[in-house]
Amino acid sequence: MSATVIGQDIRGGKKPQASWKKMPPVAWVVLAMMIFFGVAAPGFFSAGNFLNITLQGSVLLIMAVAATLVILTEGIDLSLGSVLTLAGVTGVLALQHGLSVPAAVLVGVLTGAACGAVTGFLITAGKLPPFIATLGMMGIAAGLALVLTRQGAIYSDVPAFIFLGGGSLGILPMPTVIAVLVFLLGWIVLYQTDFGRYIIAIGGNEAGARLSGVNTAWWKFLTYVAAGALAALGGVIMAARLRAADPIVGNGWEFDAIAATILGGTSFEKGNGTLGGTVLGVLLISVLRNGLNVIGVGAMWQPALIGLVIIAAIIFDVLLKQRGVIQ
Amino acid sequence: MAEQPLLQATKVTKTFPGVLALDGVDFDLSPGEVHVLLGENGAGKSTLMKVLAGAYQPDAGAISLNGHPVRLASPRQAQKHGVGIIYQEFNLVPYMNVAQNIFLGRFPHRFGLLDQARMHSESRKLLDGLNMDIDSRAKVVSLGVAQQQMVEVAKALSVDSRILIMDEPTAALTDREIEQLFAAIHRLKQRGIGIIYISHRLQEVHQIGDRVTVLRDGKYIGTRQVGQVTVDELIAMMVGRTITHMFPRDYQPRGAEAVRVEGLASGSRLRGVSLALHSGEIVGLAGLVGAGRTELARAIYGADPYETGRVTVFGRPVKAASPDKMVQLGMGLLPEDRKTQGLAMILSLSENIVLASLRRLFPRRFVDAGKEREVVAEYIRDLRIATPSPKRLVQFLSGGTQQKVVLAKWLCTHSKIFIFDEPTRGIDVGAKAEIHGFMNELVKQGAAVLMISSDLPEILGMSDRIYVMRQGLIVAEVDREQATQERIVAYAMGHEVER
Repeated sequence: MSATVIGQDIRGGKKPQASWKKMPPVAWVVLAMMIFFGVAAPGFFSAGNFLNITLQGSVLLIMAVAATLVILTEGIDLSLGSVLTLAGVTGVLALQHGLSVPAAVLVGVLTGAACGAVTGFLITAGKLPPFIATLGMMGIAAGLALVLTRQGAIYSDVPAFIFLGGGSLGILPMPTVIAVLVFLLGWIVLYQTDFGRYIIAIGGNEAGARLSGVNTAWWKFLTYVAAGALAALGGVIMAARLRAADPIVGNGWEFDAIAATILGGTSFEKGNGTLGGTVLGVLLISVLRNGLNVIGVGAMWQPALIGLVIIAAIIFDVLLKQRGVIQ
Repeated sequence: MAEQPLLQATKVTKTFPGVLALDGVDFDLSPGEVHVLLGENGAGKSTLMKVLAGAYQPDAGAISLNGHPVRLASPRQAQKHGVGIIYQEFNLVPYMNVAQNIFLGRFPHRFGLLDQARMHSESRKLLDGLNMDIDSRAKVVSLGVAQQQMVEVAKALSVDSRILIMDEPTAALTDREIEQLFAAIHRLKQRGIGIIYISHRLQEVHQIGDRVTVLRDGKYIGTRQVGQVTVDELIAMMVGRTITHMFPRDYQPRGAEAVRVEGLASGSRLRGVSLALHSGEIVGLAGLVGAGRTELARAIYGADPYETGRVTVFGRPVKAASPDKMVQLGMGLLPEDRKTQGLAMILSLSENIVLASLRRLFPRRFVDAGKEREVVAEYIRDLRIATPSPKRLVQFLSGGTQQKVVLAKWLCTHSKIFIFDEPTRGIDVGAKAEIHGFMNELVKQGAAVLMISSDLPEILGMSDRIYVMRQGLIVAEVDREQATQERIVAYAMGHEVER
């Protein structure tokens, strides 16, 4: 525009907000649920039960970190659940073929990384939409798991492997320890390295990042590889907990992981969100599951109730944002 | 005028935040007339057109149709009053057929079902009236540009438009298609339809126009009978924008060649472009919107592929160009559209500034927050970036401040070659002078700057040399001393210059 300027457009800053307003709404939902379950079931507030929650939430946290990384790039990964399944299968198969536990874990994780590399390649070099590429991988990984197991669970009781799922470090269950390490690693990568900056920049403005000289294709590719590897780690831990690789164990996990990410405040649009929020999302789902068990709601009813709570939490979030109560 | 005008607009004023787009503009249109609307980029043609079509609401002024004052509150209302508009970007649904497109939103019904027969017979009638041989059952996607345009015209006529606004209708047409279009326009004139014809092509004024009105900087400059005005007179009316608040340039002898471009070609947008850019100079790239300037910049920068041609940076030919590679070679692009290409609006000022320099600042891949703060603080100070905090999201900053953030991003990479695409568009006067000051400082320190601008005073005031582009070609190279607004516009619009 090259017309007369009649006024300068200086938009003022927002007023600093009270710190409680910065708390994501999902934190309130978690708090409310804990109070509810604490009152409804006396056993809820116990150290044992809290450790139980972290144990039950550990694989979900790992999966949700993977989902968050991908969604932050404005992508989606529908194959996470199937990759979890497949990695458990390849890991246990490796053990059955006499590989050491570290080697078997590596086989599992590399399986997932390979799946991520394929989807990442299809998305970046093949220019497929992430939804399509990962939908395809979802089918492929699930199918391979069925083929490799001949449609039945395969077992391993190597003690060091079982320890990964059932052992504990002090009072902390091993899966919890691993999940916390994964979260810390994810946090460092996302907020302390250039890779993390590129993930956030790609989500914020991919065209702009590319024009800034960021090799967006490469970093997106790496994001899917990382997500695949993390989902695979989740699969290995799951197999270790169950002492078996079940060919359909991961069905639907991608949706829990995505739900936890969204509940944690990460948006599909521009990948605006935080990894800390995702932990709250995981906590919400885990507390809800655990609480329903503690107060004796049957497993049959749980998925429907969880679905309802997810919708309610998102509506709560949207309403607060519309009213301007939170940012 | 003996006849009642079809349309009469008086003292139409329209402002946008920070910009006075139309400043008391008068315009009228008679039945059976083609009234050409002429002006440089940003003169206010599009705004006036959108006001007349009901897409924008004027802040002041009156519009009357057939002598009756009207308020065109929406495009739909303008349509009801018989004002049809054909935008450069057609509003057709590609996978629907011609008849369905013509009647979109007003499908005729019979017994509660679509009356296909009537749709097709009426479409036929409309297209025959334009003397167009187009099958009403053909899908729009299978038609050529000129035919699609005629579907748009038929669509406008199907609601009994008495006034047709055409926005650069020949921009995408071949010579043969233009002939067809002009023939169709003549038929419309005979039916008493008035046509407002917006064009960048000066020769078309005399080919198709009856009267011509010139706008400049949102102001009404004048209306002439086409037979009584020459192209040179029209150019003189269009330019003559006063040069104010221009930053004084320090000129110095130019240094080594930084960029050489040879025969760059890509489809019809770039048709063999060659240029050279040296350290210590600002080279202006002038031309009309759509001349291929942004395409040229993006091709040089490796953002878009090109079919043939060669780019050499500091004497080394670039193979398999990509923005990633060009940044490593010391080039930076400040794109035309800050909001969609220059910045990540939801990220902070700090994150945006260091984004292109992470490799240089943190070669070990770990982002050191302390160092980041230091570096960013330096640019906030040097460029006088007005922000309460480096953590402020750029979406909350003003346009001028945002542009400074983009500039800081490229200064941070220690770039040696800068491509500025419309560096001061939509920026207030103060920030504009500051940006010009920084550009001057850059070339003094030996940087090479290629500056695309549609702002003629900016081109004339800032450039050492000026290339003028038209239809994918560089049509002229003009030295600072010989450059005048008239000359540049004449080259840009394809008018012969004798000098």
